[in-house]
Amino acid sequence: MKPFDIVIVGGGGAGLYAAMEAMKTNPSLNIAVLSKVYPNRSHTSAAQGGANAALANKAKDDTVELHIFDTIKGSDYLADQDAVEVLCSEAPKIIRELDNMGTPWSRMDDNTIAQRPFGGAGRPRCCYCADKTGHTILQTLYEQCLKKGVQFFNEYFALSLSVNGSRMRGLLALNIKTGKVEAFASKTVIFATGGYAKMYWNRSSNAAGNTGDGQAIAYRAGIPLKDMEFVQFHPTGLRKSGLLVTEGARGEGGYLINRDGERFMARYAKEKMELGPRDLVARSLETEILEGRGFDSPAGKYIHLDLTHLGADLIKSRLPQIREMSMQFEGVDPIEEPIPVRPTAHYSMGGIDTDNFGRTVMGGVYAAGECGCVSVHGANRLGGNSLLDILVFGRIAGRTAAEEVGKFAPGIIPESEIAEKTEELRSFMKPSGHYERYGALREELGQTLAMNVGIFREAPLLRKGIEDIAALRDRYQHVRVFDTSDVYNTNLIQVLELKNMLDLAETVAAGAYAREESRGSHTRVDFPVRDDEKWHKHTVATLENGTVTLGEKPVTMGRYELQERTY
Amino acid sequence: MTVTEPHIEEAKKDITFRVFRFNPQIDSKPYYDDYTIQVERGITVLRSLNYIKEHLDATVSFRAFCQAGICGSCAMRVNGLSKLACTTQVWEVLEKCREPNVIKVEPLRNLPLVKDLIVDMDPLVDKMKHYSNWVESTMPEEKMGKKEFLISEEEFLKYDKATDCILCASCVSECSILRANSEYVSPAVLLKSYRMNSDSRDAIHDVRLAELVKDHGVWDCTHCYRCQETCVKSIPIMDAIHGIREDAIERRGMKDTSGSKHAEAFMSDIEKKGKLVEATLPIRTNGMAWTLKNLLPMAMKMIVKRRTPPPPPLVKPTKGIRVFRSMFREMSEHVREDHKSHNK
Repeated sequence: MKPFDIVIVGGGGAGLYAAMEAMKTNPSLNIAVLSKVYPNRSHTSAAQGGANAALANKAKDDTVELHIFDTIKGSDYLADQDAVEVLCSEAPKIIRELDNMGTPWSRMDDNTIAQRPFGGAGRPRCCYCADKTGHTILQTLYEQCLKKGVQFFNEYFALSLSVNGSRMRGLLALNIKTGKVEAFASKTVIFATGGYAKMYWNRSSNAAGNTGDGQAIAYRAGIPLKDMEFVQFHPTGLRKSGLLVTEGARGEGGYLINRDGERFMARYAKEKMELGPRDLVARSLETEILEGRGFDSPAGKYIHLDLTHLGADLIKSRLPQIREMSMQFEGVDPIEEPIPVRPTAHYSMGGIDTDNFGRTVMGGVYAAGECGCVSVHGANRLGGNSLLDILVFGRIAGRTAAEEVGKFAPGIIPESEIAEKTEELRSFMKPSGHYERYGALREELGQTLAMNVGIFREAPLLRKGIEDIAALRDRYQHVRVFDTSDVYNTNLIQVLELKNMLDLAETVAAGAYAREESRGSHTRVDFPVRDDEKWHKHTVATLENGTVTLGEKPVTMGRYELQERTY
Repeated sequence: MTVTEPHIEEAKKDITFRVFRFNPQIDSKPYYDDYTIQVERGITVLRSLNYIKEHLDATVSFRAFCQAGICGSCAMRVNGLSKLACTTQVWEVLEKCREPNVIKVEPLRNLPLVKDLIVDMDPLVDKMKHYSNWVESTMPEEKMGKKEFLISEEEFLKYDKATDCILCASCVSECSILRANSEYVSPAVLLKSYRMNSDSRDAIHDVRLAELVKDHGVWDCTHCYRCQETCVKSIPIMDAIHGIREDAIERRGMKDTSGSKHAEAFMSDIEKKGKLVEATLPIRTNGMAWTLKNLLPMAMKMIVKRRTPPPPPLVKPTKGIRVFRSMFREMSEHVREDHKSHNK
C-alpha cells in the first residue's frame, strides 16, 4: 500500500468530519478512513437528543456567551475555558453547515431549525431531528463522504501505532474480512474511535464496540490520557438493558416519579427539576433507589419516567424511537404507562489528552470526539454537547492534520513488525491446559466497575475495584480465542476489545481513587465536597512499566471564576 | 401511597436455534448447527446468539453493534424473514416455527455471503454511490455554514420517514427482483434516492432521476411490497418507489424503459377495454425485434398447446365498460389533483 498522508481511525461523526475537512484543506492528500464497522453503523447514530448551538431561533436572547457559561458551569469548572469558547462559537456555523449539506433538522413554524430545552442549559438551544438526531447527522456525513470519494477501509480493526523512538510512522490494523494484519504507513494518524463507557457492560447505554480502542492504542504507545475517572451516568437507562431513553424525553416535559408517587427532583434541583444536569439527576435517581424509594422487580430496582401526561400525539411525533424501544425492550407503551429506568454508564468525559487543535504529545498523532479530551466537558458533559464536540473538534483535527502533514516524514513500517503482530494474535488461539473465557472476564469487569467505580465512590470500594481489575488483567494473559479461522473472526475481535477495556479500566479506577473530592460525575462519598484548592486540575494517566502512573495538568481558566454549582 | 410490582411470571422454554454455518476457508457448502438453550420470555434473538457464542460455540459469527435497533448491523433472517436480531423477541417468532420451538437463523439474501450470518455490504454501498445518494447542495461550498435554508414542515414531512432508514438491508434481502437480477438498484437505494429528490436543497434532481429510469432502475420493481412489509423501521418504501415513478412520468414522459412503456400500455388497455390485450403487450413494451427474438419459441409452444391469447380484434371491452371509463377518468383526475397539491 502507498504510504498515506492521513489515516483516520474511526468512521463516526468526528472521523467523517475530519476526513471531509482534511480533503477540503488539501485535496492532493492521500487520506484513509479505517473503521471496524461500516461507518454508517457508528455509535454517533445512537445520539438521540440533539446538538447545542446558540442559533437563537427559539429563544431570541440566546448567545454564544450563555452557551459558554452553561458549559463551563456544567463541567463543574474543570473544562478548559479557551476550548469551550472554541466549541460554542463554532457551534452555530457547524449546525448551519450540516443543514446546508442536507441534515433533516426538525423545523419551527417560521421554517428555521427547531430548538428544544436540554439539561443544564439556560435557553432552549438544542437543535434536533425528532429523536434521531445523531442518526441523521451520521447519514449526512457518510453520504457527503461517499460523494467526495473518501477512501474507506471498512471492517478494519486498529491494533497498534508503529513508533520508532519517538517518531510515529503509521498504524497496524487487522483486516477483519481476511484476518490479515496490514500496515498503514502514514505521516499522521487521527484517532476518532468514540468512548470507553462500554467497560461497564450491562450497566452501559453504549454499543458493544465502544471499547476505547483508540485511547488504549495511544496509551500503550506512551501517549497520556486525561481525566479518565470522569464517566457520565445517564439518569434514564432502560431497566433491563441499560439502553438509553433520551434526555429529550424530559426536555419535552417527562416526569421522574418514585414509588411514593413523588416528583422527587423537587428535593434535589428545585428550579430545574427533571432538567437539572445529568450528574445531579443520575445521583438523585440512585439515591432514591438506595434509600428504598425505587420500584422493585426481578430485573432490578428502578424509577418511573412518566410521559403519559404528554399525550399520544406528542410522543408519536417527537419521541417515536423512545416509544418503540420501550415497547421492544420493556414491553411498556409510554403513552399508557411510565417507563422503568435507572442510571446507566453513558459517556466518557476523559480521553486522549489533546490541545485545542486535536494534537497529542506525539508528533503526527491527533485525536477528536469522545476519544479525545480537549477538555470541553470537564467533570460533566451537558446533553447536546457531545454531538457538537465530535463535529467541531473532528473538523479542527482534520484541518490541523492536513495543514501540518508536511512537518512529518513519510513512515515506513518494517515487515517484521507485521509478522510479530500476526504471531501475537495467533498466540491467543494456541490450546493450553489452563485458559480463561472471554465472556467471564468481561462480565466480571463490568460488575466490579459498576459496584466499585460507579456513581457513588469511596476509598474501600475503589481499592477493591483496583484489585479486581489488576487480577482480571493477570487472568487475561490466559484468555483463549476458540475460533481459529482467519475470515471474520469476531471471537478474536472481542478478545482484543477486552484488552483495551481492561487497560483503560485501570486508568479510570486509579484516577477515581486519587481524586479525593466530588466534582461533576465523580462523587466520593468520603470526600463529598469539591476541593478546588487541591483538585482544581486535570489528572493525566500514562503507562509506565506496564502500569498506570498519574500526573496532573492545570485547568485553563478565562472569564469565569470558580463558583459553587447549584441548579 | 405505595405501589407494588405485580407478580411477573418469568416463563422459560428450551429453544433450539438452527444456525446457518459457512466458513469459506473450510466448507465447500453451507450447513446448519443446532444449539438448544433455555430462554426466558423477553429475551431477544440477538441476546440468545450472544449467549450461544459465549457459552456453547465461540465460532458462530454474526455482526452486532448498538444492540438497540439503530445501527442496522444485526439484520438476518429469522424463520425465513429478514429482521434485526436485536429487536426481535424470541417469543414473538415462536409462532412461526416450522418445527415447534426450533428457530432458524440465516444470513440476509441477495448480498454475497462472507461467513455464517455475515454478508458483504459493499454492493449496496456501491449502488448508493452509483445513484448519487447524497444531497448535492445548491449552496456553494465557500458559503456553507453562513446561513440556514428555510424548510417548511410540509417538505420535512416528505422525507422524514425516509430518513429513518438505517441501511440494515432487510429490504434488500426480501426483494424479489434482486433475486433475479443482482444489478437491480435495490429498495433501500430507491428510498434514499427519493429522499434526496424531495429535498429542496439538492441540485442534481434530474441527473439522479435520469440514472434511476435506466435499466435495472425504478421501472424494474414489480410492486410485490416485500420491502415495505419487512422494513424494520416501518418505512413506506413503496410510496417512495411510486413517488419516483410519478416524478419520472411528469418530468420525462413514458418512453424511458420497457418498464415505463409496459405501464403505459397496461393503462391504455385498461382504459379502452377494461382488460389486457395480452397478445401485443410484449411488442408494445419491448418492441417487435426483442419480442420476435425472445418470445417466438414460447409463442410457438403456446400455439401447439392452444394457449395463445386472443388476437386484439377479438378482445372485446368488458361488460359495463362505460361506467368503468367514467370511474377511470375520475380517478385519474384525483391523482392529478393530488400531485398538484403534493408538488406545491
